[in-house]
Amino acid sequence: MSLLELRDVVKRYRDGRSERVVLRGVSMALEAGELGVVWGPRGAGRSTLLRVAAGLEAPEQGIVLFAGVDLAANGEEVLGDGIGYCHRSHGSGGWQLVLDQVMVSLLARGVAPDAARSSAHAALERTGAAECAGLRLNALRAGEAIRVALARVLALEPRMLVVDEPTAGVEAAERDGILSLLRSFADDGVAVLASTGEPAGLSGTARSWVLGEGELRGAPVSELAPVVPLRRAAGQRPGA
Amino acid sequence: MHGAAALLYAICAMGAERDAHAARMQSPVNWALLGLVIDRPSYAYELARRFERTYDGVLSLSSVSHVYTALTTLKERALIEEIPGTRTGRQPKPRYRATAKGLLEYGDWLVDEIREDRRRQRLFVLQLSSFLRDPEAAIGMLDRYEQACLQEVARIPLVPARDCAPPDASHVLLARLTAEESRLALGARLQWVQFARGELRARADAQALRR
Repeated sequence: MSLLELRDVVKRYRDGRSERVVLRGVSMALEAGELGVVWGPRGAGRSTLLRVAAGLEAPEQGIVLFAGVDLAANGEEVLGDGIGYCHRSHGSGGWQLVLDQVMVSLLARGVAPDAARSSAHAALERTGAAECAGLRLNALRAGEAIRVALARVLALEPRMLVVDEPTAGVEAAERDGILSLLRSFADDGVAVLASTGEPAGLSGTARSWVLGEGELRGAPVSELAPVVPLRRAAGQRPGA
Repeated sequence: MHGAAALLYAICAMGAERDAHAARMQSPVNWALLGLVIDRPSYAYELARRFERTYDGVLSLSSVSHVYTALTTLKERALIEEIPGTRTGRQPKPRYRATAKGLLEYGDWLVDEIREDRRRQRLFVLQLSSFLRDPEAAIGMLDRYEQACLQEVARIPLVPARDCAPPDASHVLLARLTAEESRLALGARLQWVQFARGELRARADAQALRR
């Protein structure tokens, strides 16, 4: 049984008198320890797909199973516990300090302040955003903002991370660092489902899908792409 | 003659000479070896090792003697020359460097490769047109092409952030340049597939209405 499974999911949006079918019988599966990324043109419904997969929105038809549990019936229990949904927007809270933002969800779960602070620091360290702890959210660069957003969710130790547009607005030079980070979560056994508006964001994934005209087409990858080491080991070939 | 005028004359003369030289060197291995010599003067065995490191999985040498054959061709075409004084000792290892002509022709060849790339892509589209009478079959072909592109883009290595890399890490720079070129090229193909599918779907729908 896959950790996440979507079966024949249909999702429509009504705008006044018109109706748009965003997902037409979409089926997909993601295993624990896999990184899967969905690419599609603007307006293809990538974010909708992710919100449905995370249990934030219910499909009109079809079923979404997380660890065998129907999210439409039990989504609230799973979200924030088994599933971590991550996006960069911090709404009107841009004045908040990064550390507070990462701590707050832990405090809301009854974690003691000292333990929450310690976990938040650890999560920021894990995502490569430790130096951002004392900054305000609205002072972060795009790459830092996604690392902080990931830390916020990661602190809750989810089994599956759903990440909307992790590389949007991130400089090309920094993009692979974000993708490598997502890969490392998958290597730790977390299922990671992300979306991207640019095909470059599909690099290094175990599964990649294209979403277009409501249809999802995908391809599993037989062999994971390497992560190029910063420092070449003695005798190692370049790019190997 | 002024220096600049002399240089211009020399370049024009080279151009005329190149025009007269009807058959351009075809072997990608020869061009690759010329590129390595341009990067750093080397002797044959060293070039073979550098070739294997640089072009691993992209180009291959049939044997080390392939390098000697290629160097002979490059010398005959005056694209490289032996560095005087390097053929000494009991086991002479003549080192080669690129000539001005070699540098110029290498640049021309690199730029002309874009035409070859475009030719291959146009050929694919033309060959896909065999299915145009049956748009559903063409869409099926596009699906397979899209799957292949997805798998290729997923296989592109991830290269860590530039600001984390040591400034002299040329292997990181090379990996980054290669990865980004592949991503952009495959990304463009995936976007074209979306466009082509839309066009073919409209044709299929029109055909269905006429029936």
